[in-house]
Amino acid sequence: MQKIMIVEDDTAIREELALILKNEGYLPLPVTDFTDVPRQAEQSCPDLILLDIGLPGQDGFAICKELGRSVGAPVIFVTSRDSSLDEVQALSLGGDDYIAKPYSIPVLMARIKAVLRRKGKVSEPDILEVRGLRLDLIKGAIAADAGTTTLTRNELQILACLMERPGEIISRADLIETLWDHQIYIDDNTLSVNVTRLRGKLSELGLGDLIKTRRGMGYQLI
Amino acid sequence: MTIIEFLSDRLGQLVLQAVFAASAAAFLTGTGTGSGVVVILLIAWFLVLLCTQTVAFLRYHSRLRELENIMDGLDQKYLFTECMPEAADCYERRLLDLFRRAGRSMIGAVSDARAASQEYREYVESWVHEIKTPITAAGLICRGAGPEIRQKLSRELAQIEAHVERALFYARAESPEKDFIIHQVRLADIAAQAIERHRTLLIQSNIRVETDCLEQSVYTDEKWTAFILGQLLQNAARYRSEHPVVTLTARPLGQRIQLILRDNGIGIPAHELPRVFDRGFTGINGRIRGGSTGMGLYLCRRLASCLEIELQIRSETQDETKRGTEVILTFPATGNLSKT
Repeated sequence: MQKIMIVEDDTAIREELALILKNEGYLPLPVTDFTDVPRQAEQSCPDLILLDIGLPGQDGFAICKELGRSVGAPVIFVTSRDSSLDEVQALSLGGDDYIAKPYSIPVLMARIKAVLRRKGKVSEPDILEVRGLRLDLIKGAIAADAGTTTLTRNELQILACLMERPGEIISRADLIETLWDHQIYIDDNTLSVNVTRLRGKLSELGLGDLIKTRRGMGYQLI
Repeated sequence: MTIIEFLSDRLGQLVLQAVFAASAAAFLTGTGTGSGVVVILLIAWFLVLLCTQTVAFLRYHSRLRELENIMDGLDQKYLFTECMPEAADCYERRLLDLFRRAGRSMIGAVSDARAASQEYREYVESWVHEIKTPITAAGLICRGAGPEIRQKLSRELAQIEAHVERALFYARAESPEKDFIIHQVRLADIAAQAIERHRTLLIQSNIRVETDCLEQSVYTDEKWTAFILGQLLQNAARYRSEHPVVTLTARPLGQRIQLILRDNGIGIPAHELPRVFDRGFTGINGRIRGGSTGMGLYLCRRLASCLEIELQIRSETQDETKRGTEVILTFPATGNLSKT
């Protein structure tokens, strides 16, 4: 399990963030004592540090400078100060990314994943497999016993989202949110059209009944 | 100073002199002086008068010219009293002293007002940064609520965020030179940032956003431009029609690059178009819908002018097939940037 250190002085944010990170499968390490953050980081060896800039005592910039010397963990600045100057300063001090408050959770998670991937700390599977259907995320193609076919960007993301949680009902709203995370900005109708097309392609491979519509709830991969 | 002005100032004095000359001439004639002598005396008197008055006029004239030149050369006109030349005589010294006192009090008032507005701006900025922490916390906490409450709360939070953002940029636009950094940015990155910031509003308005040809780069400040785009996206969501679609495309215009944001919303009536960038202008759509502040586009124009982005707006309200609004941002060519 990957350890993420949370350096944030607002209690509500710290606790909620810890909860969310835990649900996402990370091990959160919330910091409550801000007197010697670099030393704490050295002891707990986190895989990533979420660092607020406005902290009591030493500010985030100063902490980041010290961290750079002693701890190898990547740093994401999470701050409410979001002028271009702050961002430039943060990144020049060795921060790996910079997120302005208020952020949305999907964005934060996406950035965390991206930084971890960049640092080679995580390897995501390139191929998802459910019930004999293989989805190649890199080539954007699906393969089954009956043959292979290629998917459009939208279809690929919809199928990937469903295949990551097989058996679960995924609401249309969640699907749309996930697609927006991947910079596919579609509306409800377009989602329906894309799902219909996706079903068409799946039925060519003899898997027409793979995606089930649960009326009023969403879609389910069975 | 013209000759007429000069003469009218001295009219009383000249009339008095003429009366004296006339009565002296009458007296001399009455006491038996020859008329030839009187005429010579009058001519002599007139010549002396002409000379002294001409010298006086020229001195006034050149003095005024000198002062006017000083005034014209000044960038801040109220600093004039600090740059005035030495007084030529006691009377002028007194006058200049009075001006100087008035000027000093003016300079004091101006710098007090500047300091106050600077402090206010700093306070607004720090307030905005502080308010973002509880907004973030509220956003995180509301994830634990049921889907309906979550949706409603996140919509309200998104609105608070949008208002706070406008307040911040309003304060920033007051002294823009401090805050922006021009560098090369991909249009796609700016668009993604703006869309991401308003995703709650856009998703809940069931809007489809199409982006096309945004691979090109422009020289601008990413955050400021994303804010401008964000205002336009909010407007597109606010004044949407059924099945709303927003398209973001770019095209080159000579050396410059244009970013075009088009929606298929209800449009803006033609007679209102010239005023939409005015401060506080809400228009018929805003009045019918309510909740319009008339600040969004005003801020867009102010920020755009700082970044030297040209803003154009076109709209169609009548024709069903072409209905919608189109805003074009023309970014400066790299060679034309005056500030970098």
